[in-house]
Amino acid sequence: MSDLSVQVPEAVAPEAVETVDAKQSFAAGLAQFLPNIWHSIFRHPLPDSDLGASQTSVTNFFLHIHPVKVHKNTLRPLYTLGLGVMSFVTFVVLTVTGILLMFYYVPSTTQAYDRMLDLRGSVAFGTFLRNLHRWSAHAMVAIVFLHMARVFLTGSYKKPREFNWVIGCLLFLLTLFLSFTGYLLPWDQLAFWAITVGTSIAAYAPLIGSKIQFLLLGDKAVGQEALLRFYVLHVVVLPALVTLLIAIHFWRIRKDGGLSRPVEADLGADQKPLRVEIVSSTPAGKRTFGLMGFVRGPFTKVGNVPDNSVYAWPNLLVAELFVFVITVAALLVVSLLFNAPLEEPVNILHPPNPAKAPWYFLGLQELVSYSAFWGGVGIPGVEVALLMLTPYIDRKVSGVGKWFAKERFLANTLFITFALLNVIFIIIGTFFRGPNWTMVSPF
Amino acid sequence: MKLALAIASAVILVVSGIVFYDQFFHLWERNQNTYFDQARTQARNDSERKELADRSPKIEQIIVTQFGDNRVDRCTTCHLAIDDPRFKDHFEPLKTHPYSTALGDFQRNGRWERRHKFTDFGCTVCHDGQGRGLEAGYAHGEDEHWNDPLIGYITQANWRKEFVPHLKGKEYMEANCAQCHTDENFAGTPHVNRGRQLFFQTNCYGCHRIEGLSEGTLAPELSEAGHKFKIDYLWESIVDPRANLATSFMPKFNLSDDDVKCLVIFLKSRRGVNFAETSLARYEARITPAKEVITPEAALNKPAIKLPDQVAEGKALFEDRACTACHKLGDKDGGIAPDLSFEGRMKDPDWLRDHFRAPRSRIPDSNMPAFRFTDADFAALTAYLESRQEPPKISNDGAETFKTLCSRCHGEKGDGQGVTAYYLDPAPRDLTKSSFMNSKPEDRFIRSITNGVAGTSMPAWGKVLTDEQIHTVFSYVKTAFVKENRPFKERANIPETNPTPSTKDSIARGEATFLKRCTGCHGLKADGKGANSLDIVPRPRNLRNRWFVEKLIDHRALGSILYGVQGTAMPAWVDYGLTMKDASDLLNYIRSLNPPPAPAQPSRTIAALTPGDR
Repeated sequence: MSDLSVQVPEAVAPEAVETVDAKQSFAAGLAQFLPNIWHSIFRHPLPDSDLGASQTSVTNFFLHIHPVKVHKNTLRPLYTLGLGVMSFVTFVVLTVTGILLMFYYVPSTTQAYDRMLDLRGSVAFGTFLRNLHRWSAHAMVAIVFLHMARVFLTGSYKKPREFNWVIGCLLFLLTLFLSFTGYLLPWDQLAFWAITVGTSIAAYAPLIGSKIQFLLLGDKAVGQEALLRFYVLHVVVLPALVTLLIAIHFWRIRKDGGLSRPVEADLGADQKPLRVEIVSSTPAGKRTFGLMGFVRGPFTKVGNVPDNSVYAWPNLLVAELFVFVITVAALLVVSLLFNAPLEEPVNILHPPNPAKAPWYFLGLQELVSYSAFWGGVGIPGVEVALLMLTPYIDRKVSGVGKWFAKERFLANTLFITFALLNVIFIIIGTFFRGPNWTMVSPF
Repeated sequence: MKLALAIASAVILVVSGIVFYDQFFHLWERNQNTYFDQARTQARNDSERKELADRSPKIEQIIVTQFGDNRVDRCTTCHLAIDDPRFKDHFEPLKTHPYSTALGDFQRNGRWERRHKFTDFGCTVCHDGQGRGLEAGYAHGEDEHWNDPLIGYITQANWRKEFVPHLKGKEYMEANCAQCHTDENFAGTPHVNRGRQLFFQTNCYGCHRIEGLSEGTLAPELSEAGHKFKIDYLWESIVDPRANLATSFMPKFNLSDDDVKCLVIFLKSRRGVNFAETSLARYEARITPAKEVITPEAALNKPAIKLPDQVAEGKALFEDRACTACHKLGDKDGGIAPDLSFEGRMKDPDWLRDHFRAPRSRIPDSNMPAFRFTDADFAALTAYLESRQEPPKISNDGAETFKTLCSRCHGEKGDGQGVTAYYLDPAPRDLTKSSFMNSKPEDRFIRSITNGVAGTSMPAWGKVLTDEQIHTVFSYVKTAFVKENRPFKERANIPETNPTPSTKDSIARGEATFLKRCTGCHGLKADGKGANSLDIVPRPRNLRNRWFVEKLIDHRALGSILYGVQGTAMPAWVDYGLTMKDASDLLNYIRSLNPPPAPAQPSRTIAALTPGDR
């Protein structure tokens, strides 16, 4: 290298410089105080170029879950209907409202109901908070189910997304279980008898049924033990599990190359990712790197190939924000207009007739009224097993990324049949069953 | 898309605004501010004025721990002026709570002082309602899921409309006074006292148990009726006993609305708690057995009836123990049970004594409770009823006789729908059923009237009426009620006595046939309560009614089995393949179910029980 010689300026009298610069630098420093704080937190300005947009995924903690670019098909509203994000939004709403409710609720048979009365009567925003929590819970069960239906009907469980589908099924079951455990906490007649019915259905499992029931209840019947267990499950164990599985679910989405899309949307999909050779100046040997080589599937486009992707910033973010705002608005309106039910305090000597499980289990209860084992354990068990094994049974790779693809007619019909049957049973159980489980007219 | 986003965001803003507004402008805050303003205008001095000006609304609550559960009463949040005498003419909720000597309040130095200070008692102990509520609807218990609405003031939306006007009134609060003031004659609870009297006077005590008051076993226990039920349910249970249980045999007593109200208030006061009692006293009461029979006079602290003449004693007991709440005797008529005016002629002392001790030992399907009186009392009552020997004063007019003596059970129209008919089992015969009335010879009916029907409530009128009177009344029945009078046709081939002797084999065969054919109506226990029995009128015969079966002659029994009973659901089994042999085996089986009656066992009265028995 050339000889770098530095020219050192002549020394200036230090005092003269200081007196003039000190005042200016103090004022300047003061003016810079708040911006300094701001810029230490937000180190990168809002992006205004493609480079900036790409960088958001690596410069922001919360946004690093996003890929840099997202396929256009993913953002099509009518493709996913935003149901996945909606599920997540309801889960977040539930967590936040749930934590706020935890400041007032005590899982004791003697105190729980009084606490609910306090929440309703004297806690600021108590009624609204409780309403929000309850209606979000019902909404989450329904939305998770619809999300599962969407994934099935677009064939998005196929290779390489099989295990993500299984995780999703587990999340669905955990959602049901979360709703079930939460149902007991108000400790009123509605809660007590619904959980009595639900745990009695669980007891019909062969060999282990009564053990499962005892494990759930901590006793032979619903009481203080059950309340405590359900509370711990509801606020700690299940949310932790769900959070874990959600994290893995999202991770898997990234590793599977984003959401599914039809083959047509990826022309030139047979192209392999290009490899870039970086030759370093040191002759230590050639080293080669693959760009984004961990991502399966031909996603990253390098060079002049048709590109159907858009930057995640701001498109994906806006889409998610949109779903968030719509969902929260709907939940807020419903919570404002409708009050969550609170019935009489628990009276173990006075079961209501009929005693009904929560609505998502009413289909099961209807089936149980025909046959205890098959209705409560057999058929649901088979349904869940079939559901989870679907990607391993259906190995055809065609028909992915489209709603109601013709190639998948059989699978879609089967799914819709099962889903419709479940819904019909739930409707029967809700409206058409009266005392002693006899048929009554709801009109 | 942007438009939808904008609209949704606006919705969120609006809803948040509404929610915040709701939370910061509560009605109770406005009430409190009104109070502060009004009190300031009436303030006596500046410091008081300043204090009120500085006050801002906050939730007021009284925490009461001495009445069982922890009660948190927030009523004073709205009712802020209850102890401020200046507001006695204000409108609710800022009205002063009344002072009155009836509540124990007294005057001291020209000012009223409360006996039941609200800081000690709270509000819900006396008024019920939901203490924790801060909205009027919840606090007053208007929500139908709240078990204790403001008693006497609030009626809930799902209460029956015809009862609602009766269920309002401050007197209902006496039920709560009685939680501590348990004295029978406490001046502050006149309705409770009267209700307790009525409980005995209208014979509720015979069927219902209330701890410390009665030992009835036929009906639900009412010791905690006030705790378990709301006043509309209590009212309904008295005036419409079959509203909640279609097969209830609780009589519909003929009570005035005032009486029902007193009874409801009394029952509402039965909460299973006595706040005035220390736990030690409660424990002592539990472990000490009752030393005497719980009878109305014992319970109401009246002196035991001891008159020199047993008949007079029996008469006094009869009135005191409220037998006419159901029965008829002389002028008094409860309209529910048979007429005892002529019992002395119709029944012998053994029958009466057995019936007193255990009514179902003589009338197997009787509704009458087994009262737990002493044997001495039963003897006196028997003596009194035996003394009723005077025959009825009726002419020989059939219609008048029927109206005076028969219509009470058989109905004015002879259709078996008399006032007592619902409570009698077997039910009084429907005399308008011509198919039945024409299928029996006349002397059978005359015999039934003259000798009565054993094991049923049909008495032996022959002991009270002359033959001529009986024939007259029966002709009246035939002409007035039986539409088509056809001559009776006897069937030729029914033997007078059972042709098959009663051996073990015959009984076994009869049992097999019975189980195959008869249990659907007559029941597995042959007691007439088979699965079909609720839909059949008249009900299937109780074949274990040994008094009846004993008097049933073979000829009639065989005829009924083989050729049925016209006008009832008993089919002619000869049409279904039964032979005379089958019928006679059946008869042997039925008779085997009804061995000759053993002497009646004395019932165990409370005095006879030793402490270990309880």
